[in-house]
Order: sequence, then structure tokens, then C-alpha cells
Amino acid sequence: MATVLLVEDDPAARQGLELALRRLGYEVRLAETGEAALGGVCEAAVDVVVLDVMLPGVDGFEVCRRLRRGSDVPVIMLTARGDDFDIVAGLEAGADDYVVKPVEPRVLDARIRAVLRRMARAGSPAETYGELVIDRASLVVRRAGREVSLTPTELRLLLVLSGSPRQVFSREQLLDLVWEHDYLGDSRLVDACVQRLRAKIETDTSEPRYIQTVRGFGYRFGPV
Amino acid sequence: MRTRLIIAFIVVAVLAAIPAAWLVNLVLPYYPSLASLAAMPSPLSHLLLVPPGARTLAHPRTVAVVVFCLVAGALLLAVITGLAVAASRRVLLPVRRLARAAQRMVGGDLSVRIEPNGRDELARLVTSFNMMACALEDKICELQRMEARARQFAGDVSHELRTPLTAMTAVVDILPGHPDLTGDAAGAAQLVSQEIRHLNRLVHDLIEISRFDARTAQLVVDNTDVAAAVAACLRARGWSDVVTGIPAGLTMPLDRRRFDVILANLIGNALCHGSPPVTVQASIRPADGGEQLALLVRDHGPGIPPDALPHVFERFYKADTARSRSEGSGLGLAIACENTRLHGGHIEAANLPSGGALFTLRLPLPQAAPAVLPDGEPVTVTSS
Repeated sequence: MATVLLVEDDPAARQGLELALRRLGYEVRLAETGEAALGGVCEAAVDVVVLDVMLPGVDGFEVCRRLRRGSDVPVIMLTARGDDFDIVAGLEAGADDYVVKPVEPRVLDARIRAVLRRMARAGSPAETYGELVIDRASLVVRRAGREVSLTPTELRLLLVLSGSPRQVFSREQLLDLVWEHDYLGDSRLVDACVQRLRAKIETDTSEPRYIQTVRGFGYRFGPV
Repeated sequence: MRTRLIIAFIVVAVLAAIPAAWLVNLVLPYYPSLASLAAMPSPLSHLLLVPPGARTLAHPRTVAVVVFCLVAGALLLAVITGLAVAASRRVLLPVRRLARAAQRMVGGDLSVRIEPNGRDELARLVTSFNMMACALEDKICELQRMEARARQFAGDVSHELRTPLTAMTAVVDILPGHPDLTGDAAGAAQLVSQEIRHLNRLVHDLIEISRFDARTAQLVVDNTDVAAAVAACLRARGWSDVVTGIPAGLTMPLDRRRFDVILANLIGNALCHGSPPVTVQASIRPADGGEQLALLVRDHGPGIPPDALPHVFERFYKADTARSRSEGSGLGLAIACENTRLHGGHIEAANLPSGGALFTLRLPLPQAAPAVLPDGEPVTVTSS
């Protein structure tokens, strides 16, 4: 079963969430501070980080930014405020998804499962689009011959979009296909992930070649 | 100001013109060459005190004295008029500045002050005006601070409640139906679990409304199919006995989550307080300068009591004070209203003559703008 690193400074919330996650079958590691979380990810094999935003010392956003420098582990932000500012800042820091406190265990479970789910490997040969090579068999993406390091969410988004080149996907559809959110998902998740993906695969993010915006509709892959 | 000056000069000119004309007539017989001029028809001839052609005899010296007196008189008149205008300017200018300042205060600018000029009564009036503006500004600022503190407090309390609620919500599912809990313990566990959910909803709504008060609520707009959004709202809440009549293909840019909150509150309210059938209809109607979406939610219950009608969108308002508590937080319609306002629209509540309540949601449609494509490729939009 997957190992969750739960970063939460409030003892009661930490204890409650730990209990709920264990009952859902997860292996749970705990961290009380941002510093402890950064150490915890390094020393133990962690599959997913559930990260509180409001932490003493190094806050959740900073933890997420530092994690992203060397790791593609999925991060779910746990925000007590649900403020738009918090959510946008969390997504910009590199979070894959977020939940608003107080979160029901089944919701947190669904989110964790979604970010952990990998795309099914396909037997098809690697596809080449300009400088970009997408290998669905090995789930590896190369740009100009060099492997691009993607989080599971970024990879899924790229595979979904490139699976039907030129087809426009609405943000709602992408939320459903990539994040498995219900019909009320937050479309800013898609925008933030597209930005991160562009930063990794595009040569010029202001004039994207691969992930193109179709204003008023959504996104599409190509035409390259 | 300029108009008055012009009028003053015209008056002086006319006053000076009458004796001048008389003078001309007086002098004419001595200067025959000018007589031909006087014979010409002119508007001035009406002003002549002596009819043209009449024989009038006066010595040129007398004429010179008269001319001198007249010119001096006209000049004196002009000087007096100038002085009068200057004096009126001295009075009128500060009064006008006061009027302008008062207008700005009416417009909400309480920082307006006037530089007092001199030491007269007008200067004292200006000083008093400044003091009044100062006092008013302080008072309003204090009131705004108090209101902001109260709102901040409500927001802070709600946020603080979230941390203990997080722990409780995480474990509450363990309690109901637990085999170790029987009899009273099982009942208590059921009650605690149910009330934690209620508290969750209340805190959620309080935080939502405090975000509107703090003006931090933002719209995340997507092109939305209205019929699909209504169907999804009903499906997600298991409301199967609602009749909908919304044309297919009616789409507009909406914040999906906020639109769902509006729908859920209006429809939930109709289901809770009205009687079936509850109907939801939508259409595009012309509105001032453009078009709007009109979404009508009606029920067939007793309607809203007339004295409650103006208050239904107020926070925690309950039409029936005897009813201790309803399903919701008491903030539902207030939140629906705020979300609608964020979209630039409004909600109206009314009673139908045939019985039942009617809530009408009106949202303005933006001017149609085609999808912009980077390279002119045709768009393939999949239907979800």
C-alpha cells in the first residue's frame, strides 16, 4: 500500500488524519514541521505528500517549492483557508492537487488515489512531435534527446492531450480525465499544471508549440 | 463669471452710446461732411435724442465740455462696474469653492479640504467647513475600521474552528455503526456525527461569506452549458423530482462552482420550503444594452409571507422565528446572492398569483467573442 507523508503541525488534526489514513489502508509517516518534512521525503520512500499550508518556520508553499527541485513526488496541499490566494500560491509552488480543511476521509482518499494512479503503459511505438518524443510503453518523455522529469500528474496530462492530437479538451474534461475530480473541480489545477508542463517541454512558454491554448474552450496538443 | 463681465460691459457701452449719439447730432450742423453719415440709415439713429436733420445750435466749446463730462462719466461708470465685479468675485469665488467641495463630499470624497483665504467671515466659514469634513472623515474611518474588525473577527473565528473540525471530521466516520457502541452510546455517536456535519456546513458557509466581505472572492470562468450544469447539480444531490425546461446548447461563461452553489441554494430552498412540483426554466432575454440569462425556479407551496419577502436574502434570516433550525446554515440565499453579484447579475424573489414562490436569477451575457486560435486551425470540440 502507498506511503503517505503527512505534514501537519496541529497535534489533533495530525492524529485525526493519521487515524483516517491508516483506516483507509495507507502507510503513514508524520512530520510536524516543514524542515522535518523535507528530511522525511529524502530518507524514506514516500509515494505522496499531504502537506499543510500553515506551518511554523518553513511554510507549506516553500516546502513544496524545495521538494520540486529534486523530486517528482505528488503533493496534495491541505489548506485550512481555501482562500483563492492560498490555492493559487500552492499550485504555483508545484502542488498536484489540494483539499480544503476540514476534509472528509473519502475525499482525501480519492485525491490520493488519483495523483498516485499511473497511466496504463501502451505497447505502441514512441511518438515523435518535433523535438518531443513520447514513449507510452516506458512512460518516458524526451525533449531533444534528453529525458524530461515529470510528476505523475504532469505525465498524465501530457499523455491525455497527446493521445488525441489537435482535439480540444475542455478544462472540465481534463479535470475528470487527469485528476478524476467531480464536475465541480477547480479548473485552475489544469491551468497550473499546463504552466508547469510547458516550462518543462516547450522552448518558448509564451508561444507554446505543443500544449496550445484555445481560448474559451480549453487546451489541445499541437498541431506541431 | 465671464457672462456677468460681458453683461456689465454691454450696459456701460449702451449707457455711453446714448449721450454719444446725442452729441453727434449736436455737432453735425458744424461739420457738414459728417452729415451724409448721419443721413445713412443705421440702428443707432433710433437712439438719437434729437431727430436727424433738426436744426440744433450749440457752440463747439459747450460741446467740448459736454463731451468731457460724458466721457468722464462713462469711464467712472466702467471703473465702478469693474470694482463691483471684483468685489463679487471675492465673495463668489470662495462660495463656489465651498459648493464644489461639498459636491465632492456628497460623491464620497471625505478628504477634501479648502485653503482659507484672508480673515473675514468667508474664511471662517471655510475653516468651519474643513473642521466638519475632518470630523466626518474620522468618524467614517472609525466606523469602517469597526466594521472591518467585526468582519475579520467572524472570518478568523470560522478559520480557527476549522482546525478542531479537521480532526473531528477525519475520525467521525468511525463512530456511527461501530459494533462497540450500543444503546445510548450508539444514539449519542449518531448525534455527534450528524452535528459535526452540520457544524462543517455552517463553518464552510461562514468562511464563504467572509470571503465576499473581504472582497477576496474570485471568479474562475469557463464556458458552461446551463442545462448540463442544472442536470449535474440535481444529479449530485439526488433531487429527482425537479422539472427542468432549459433549451439545449444554451452556453455562457460562468464560474462552474459558484453557479452550482447558486442553483443548489435556489432549488434546495424551493424543495425545502415549497411544495412539489419544483420547476427550473431558463431562457435568454433581451436586457438593457444586451442579453441576459433568466433562470426561473418556482415551487407550488404557500409562497413567501409578504413581510418576509424583502428579507429572504439576509444572512440568518428565518421567516418563521418559531422554527429553531433548518437543514442549512441560514446563509444559503445570502451566498447565492453574493455569487450572483460576482457574476454581475442579481436574484429576485416573488410570489406567484397562482401560489408558490418564484426566484428569478438574472445573469448578463457578455458580448459574443469567437474563440481565438493561434494559427487559424479549425477547432474540434468534443462534447462531454
